Amino acid sequence: MSSDPFERPRAANGRAPDVFKTGGWIPMRQHRDVDEVDFAIVGTGAGGGTLAARLAEKGFSVVAFDAGPYFRPLEDFASDETAQEKLYWNDPRVVQGADPIVMGGKNSGKTVGGSMVHFAMVSLRFRPEWFKARSTLGYGADWPIGWEEMWRYYDQVERDLSISGPITYPWGPPRPRYPYRPHPMNAAAEVLARGCEAMGMKWTPTPLATVSAPRGEAHPCVYRGFCRFGCSTNAKQSTLNTYIPRAIRAGAEIRDLAMVGRIETDAGDRATGVHYHRDGQWRFQKARNVIVAGYAVESPRLLLNSATDRHRDGLANSSGLVGKNLMTQPNQAVYGKSKDEIRWNKGPPSLAITEHWNYDDEKDFHGGYCWMGQGPLPIEWAKTMTTSRGIWGDELRLAMQDYNYQVGVKMVGECLPSENNRVELADQKDRYGLPVAKITFGWSENDKALIRHALDQMEMSMEAAGVTDLFRQEEDANHLGGTVKMGDDRRSSVLDADCRSWDVPNLFVCDGSVFPTVGGVNPSLTIQAIALRTADRIEQLAAHGDL
Amino acid sequence: MSGPTRAADFADLADDPAPAHVAREPAGRDGEVRGRRAAPAWAEARFGLPLHAPATGVAIGPVRMIHGAAAMLATSVLADSGIEHDRGQYHNPAMFLPLVSSTLSILASLDGATRDEKRAHPLRLASYGIAMTVGLLGTGFHLYNITKKPGGISWENLFYQAPIGAPAALSLSGLLGLAAEGIRHETADRPPTLLGLPAAPALAALTSLGLLGTTAEVALLHFRGNFQNPAMYLPVLLPPIAAALTGDAALRPDRRARPQAKLWLGITAALGVAGVAFHAYGTSRYMGGFKNWRQNVLDGPPLPAPPSFSGLALAGLAALALLERHGDD
Ligand SMILES: Cc1cc2nc3c(=O)[nH]c(=O)nc-3n(C[C@H](O)[C@H](O)[C@H](O)COP(=O)(O)OP(=O)(O)OC[C@H]3O[C@@H](n4cnc5c(N)ncnc54)[C@H](O)[C@@H]3O)c2cc1C
Ligand code: SF4
Repeated sequence: MSSDPFERPRAANGRAPDVFKTGGWIPMRQHRDVDEVDFAIVGTGAGGGTLAARLAEKGFSVVAFDAGPYFRPLEDFASDETAQEKLYWNDPRVVQGADPIVMGGKNSGKTVGGSMVHFAMVSLRFRPEWFKARSTLGYGADWPIGWEEMWRYYDQVERDLSISGPITYPWGPPRPRYPYRPHPMNAAAEVLARGCEAMGMKWTPTPLATVSAPRGEAHPCVYRGFCRFGCSTNAKQSTLNTYIPRAIRAGAEIRDLAMVGRIETDAGDRATGVHYHRDGQWRFQKARNVIVAGYAVESPRLLLNSATDRHRDGLANSSGLVGKNLMTQPNQAVYGKSKDEIRWNKGPPSLAITEHWNYDDEKDFHGGYCWMGQGPLPIEWAKTMTTSRGIWGDELRLAMQDYNYQVGVKMVGECLPSENNRVELADQKDRYGLPVAKITFGWSENDKALIRHALDQMEMSMEAAGVTDLFRQEEDANHLGGTVKMGDDRRSSVLDADCRSWDVPNLFVCDGSVFPTVGGVNPSLTIQAIALRTADRIEQLAAHGDL
Repeated sequence: MSGPTRAADFADLADDPAPAHVAREPAGRDGEVRGRRAAPAWAEARFGLPLHAPATGVAIGPVRMIHGAAAMLATSVLADSGIEHDRGQYHNPAMFLPLVSSTLSILASLDGATRDEKRAHPLRLASYGIAMTVGLLGTGFHLYNITKKPGGISWENLFYQAPIGAPAALSLSGLLGLAAEGIRHETADRPPTLLGLPAAPALAALTSLGLLGTTAEVALLHFRGNFQNPAMYLPVLLPPIAAALTGDAALRPDRRARPQAKLWLGITAALGVAGVAFHAYGTSRYMGGFKNWRQNVLDGPPLPAPPSFSGLALAGLAALALLERHGDD
């Protein structure tokens, strides 16, 4: 019998859960709080989990903390939308602004492995120009990293996750063949493809982080479509079943149910460790370096909550930009009815994609977007119907009977950075007694123009594919970024190209918050590529005595 | 007793006035061989098949082997299309055709292999003819289905739409059956022919092409599976060797023994059997393994597919046996 993953930490007593076996364990090296470890990492998601593996593999001692539990997908994940809400960061947050962001399942996870445990697995590379959006495309900001270097790290993360993708990808500079073959397309993906073909646009099977053939102990995908509620077969290549087991094998320690409340700094400008809450008490882990990887809301919150007399506006915040420039990607959709049965919940939701509008600059707004197939499960679909069409009761019940005939496409778009959109501290406290995040957001005029354009194009494509009874889901947003941005200049950024704080030299932030611009594709592959690069850079810095 | 494996043996045979297709029995080391209508003991020793030659002069051993080959291919088709078309819920009634046709082909083969008489039977001929036709239709149908899909002839569709190569196995089964009937039909003064061509080289060529086609399909599907297990390279690398050697026999059909070709056909036949075990292992790696067989037999690597290699190899061995006795006369 296995314990309840929420009741008490599972990663303890020299072992951690084996994610590939019901009730299984793997040995794990552990450190004492008084041991000064090389790296304390806050968060084990796309950024933190990847770094934990690479740094441990490079021989550093690593302790990685996550506020969430340590799941074994085979035994802990139910095929039940409601039960699986246990994966989300549902702790209180204050949202406000012209377009308040709905927090929770859509954008934040709270488990070992982070949001990738319930992400939709769409694994895309940035368009090269986006790394220099300001100088080549005239909007947003430049990244301090060039695309050629990123391309190499994309190669690496695609291999590490065995991305299943098309034989040739239609857009951007050449890339190596995806490690695994593409998945079969479901009927929803075929509708997307037909719409694109009718409009003369290219489309492709989506590169996905779920395996189309066995990989080690991971079973291949069974196309049951529970991806965004936790994949119970381990087909999904999330941090939880890729980098985390690698990290532990290489000697890293993972601490689950361990909420970091504050980063401690000495009288100078160096971090000395982290205060964390685990097993009912506050503790302090000593560390030579601290890496924050809690995603675009929790990372700035932790920095702000770690203010000292010397760092009154929050740690690493001499630029005043910690928490600013919050971006969320527009995630609007067009839905309708097909005359043929679709059964869109069968398979990963986004089996086909078009990036056409990311590579077309003949538009009267900045930024790009892509759109992809959809497969909302019934509860999510019912919610979409009530919010977008305003139908309830009997009308909703009748409309739900068309579930197997519904089809649609959803965009992931670029939101431009604005200092008005931000994460601050609220007066309210959470269960640990820590001030919660206050999130202010509103779409800019450019964002609205991009969304309108996308909705029009998506609607045309659905019409062209013969879909009827169309309606728009106008209010939705997903991936976050921008709140701890990297850059070339300490006055206009919080971190340098190595994700290292300009102010506190042994403090790094490495997750979705470091993006100066979010581009028009899903972010996690880019987050992980940055994490791989950061690990390499840390190794080089250490070799030169610069850590 | 051993068969004609050395040049000297063939030199002996060269002077033999008996019609080539008539079974011979070496009478002794002096090589005195006459047209006795009996199974050659060397063939019996080599293939381990009971070759009681009937009074017709038919080389019934190879006939049996080819019927066996046709039956194996048809069984593979029956099981495979049964599983795949069941998964496709027979949404088109034509999807029942390969099941019916392969069953007929199996019945015909069983009948053909157990009978000694020299005549081809019209019902067997009809069954094999149907198999050939249904196979061809199936290929056309599968191809048409692909072109209807978005993307047309693309990797995605080649990977996941109805396989173009699979119905060809049914055609092959039909062709092999016809070949078996063809050489059964021979008379003492006519060399065995197949669709008007000399039977042995034609059969060797058919086998060689069949092996190459099957390999191409395996290559495509194992590429789809990313060769995630190194054993997945075996059926892509080994059968072409057998195909090349059998193809060489078809192109240079002089009368001689071909131990290399036999060896590689034997390996290919064994691979077909081992393939079932490998596919069973592959299936066990799907979620739930064999406890969840009702799903995994559908989704995992196809259990009935590999024996089509064994069937083809068997046909190749029969072709070699014929060549060994007749050459291309
Ligand atoms: C429903 C959904 C679908 C998505 N689909 C896609 C997709 O298809 N493709 C794509 O590229 N991206 C997708 N994403 C986005 C992607 O998952 C995230 O961008 C990515 O995981 C962010 O990585 P991260 O390292 O910044 O943070 P996360 O992966 O969220 O990891 C942060 C971790 O830090 C922990 N943490 C935070 N604060 C603390 C603290 N103070 N102490 C201890 N632990 C802490 C959290 O518990 C969490 O586990 C999706 C996200 C969601 C929610
Ligand atoms: S559809 Fe595939 S990736 Fe999604 S939950 Fe099921 S097995 Fe996992």
